[in-house]
Amino acid sequence: MKTLLLEIKDMHCSNCAMKLQALEDDLPGVDTVDASYRSQKMKVIYDETIVTPVTIMDAVRKLGYTPELIP
Amino acid sequence: MAVQGGLLASSLASQIEKEVATPGTKTKQKSSPQIALPIVLFLAAKLVAYTLLGALLGALGAVLQMTPTMRAILQFLIAIFMIGNALRMLNVHPVFRFFSFEPPASVTRFIRKKAKNKTSLFSPIFLGGLTILIPCGVTQSMMAGAIAAGSPILGAALMFAFTLGTSPVFFILSYFATKLGSLLEKQLVRIVAVVLLVLGLLSIDTGLNLLGSPYSISKLLQTNSQPQVAEILSAIDQSENVITLNVINSGYKPNVLKAPADTELTLNLITKNTNSCSRAFLIPELNISELLDQTGTKSVQIPAQPAGKKIAFTCSMGMYTGEIVFN
Repeated sequence: MKTLLLEIKDMHCSNCAMKLQALEDDLPGVDTVDASYRSQKMKVIYDETIVTPVTIMDAVRKLGYTPELIP
Repeated sequence: MAVQGGLLASSLASQIEKEVATPGTKTKQKSSPQIALPIVLFLAAKLVAYTLLGALLGALGAVLQMTPTMRAILQFLIAIFMIGNALRMLNVHPVFRFFSFEPPASVTRFIRKKAKNKTSLFSPIFLGGLTILIPCGVTQSMMAGAIAAGSPILGAALMFAFTLGTSPVFFILSYFATKLGSLLEKQLVRIVAVVLLVLGLLSIDTGLNLLGSPYSISKLLQTNSQPQVAEILSAIDQSENVITLNVINSGYKPNVLKAPADTELTLNLITKNTNSCSRAFLIPELNISELLDQTGTKSVQIPAQPAGKKIAFTCSMGMYTGEIVFN
């Protein structure tokens, strides 16, 4: 398992965070998503043998948000 | 009623924000039954939640009493919540994001699982139940009434009747606001934010009135308007030690009473088929609190006051106000 940290500056309510958390169910290989509207950050724990950071970021974009990688 | 509107607006704002959350996604115009069902579920959940709350408050009735100061503090807290949320929605500063209720991830996972099973109908039920955490001014009064009932059954009956009675108004407001929301989207979020700001200020005003402050917005407006001179003249009884105040459905007549200074007074409060909250009469500064009969006269003793002194009176919700001026 690996951890990916993203900054999502265009979350504008806690529903956005809930929507991003739903990637746990919708994107195979994603184990846990902790998204916070307050901090505008998202922490993803994923299985690197199934999914890549690029795929995760693409999925975030498809939901209408702009992810930025936190090194 | 104003505060209830604010809470409704907050709830609607969440719904609207959810719709707006996905830029580029075309908002599908929902048909009338699709809009009506979530609102009905929201109101049904609210009805159940408040009935249970009424039972709980009735059971606690003998122990707890909501003082005007407690109600004022509650009003200030509600105002902070409303104004903070309005500024958050207007994206004024990141600090206002703290006014957004962010449930723990475990809770949102639970909600998500439920919502998936029942499409989007779980959310309005859940939100309806949660409204007991943010009661409005009128609801607080009813909650105080449920406490005063001193019985779980009476408390539950009171809250059930009140919530059921207000439901048609909420339904109409929600229905049209949701229709409007699908048309105006982001613009409506801003409109709701402004409405919330105004309601937040009104809530502060109510709190100040409950504390008997002379600096509330309604008092300042009252000062600038002409007092009811004819009423003032007739308000002083033949005996100089008795002043009379008519408690009517729309407030107090006159709203400015002149009284002689340095004399103990009797204030006669007269009701005649009065059904509004003006019946719950308060003089915060003197710790006077009276629940008047629908029709009748209640006498209240006012201790001697120095010339120039002004003492504010209000209803228990801080909506209707007035003052006694000592000369």
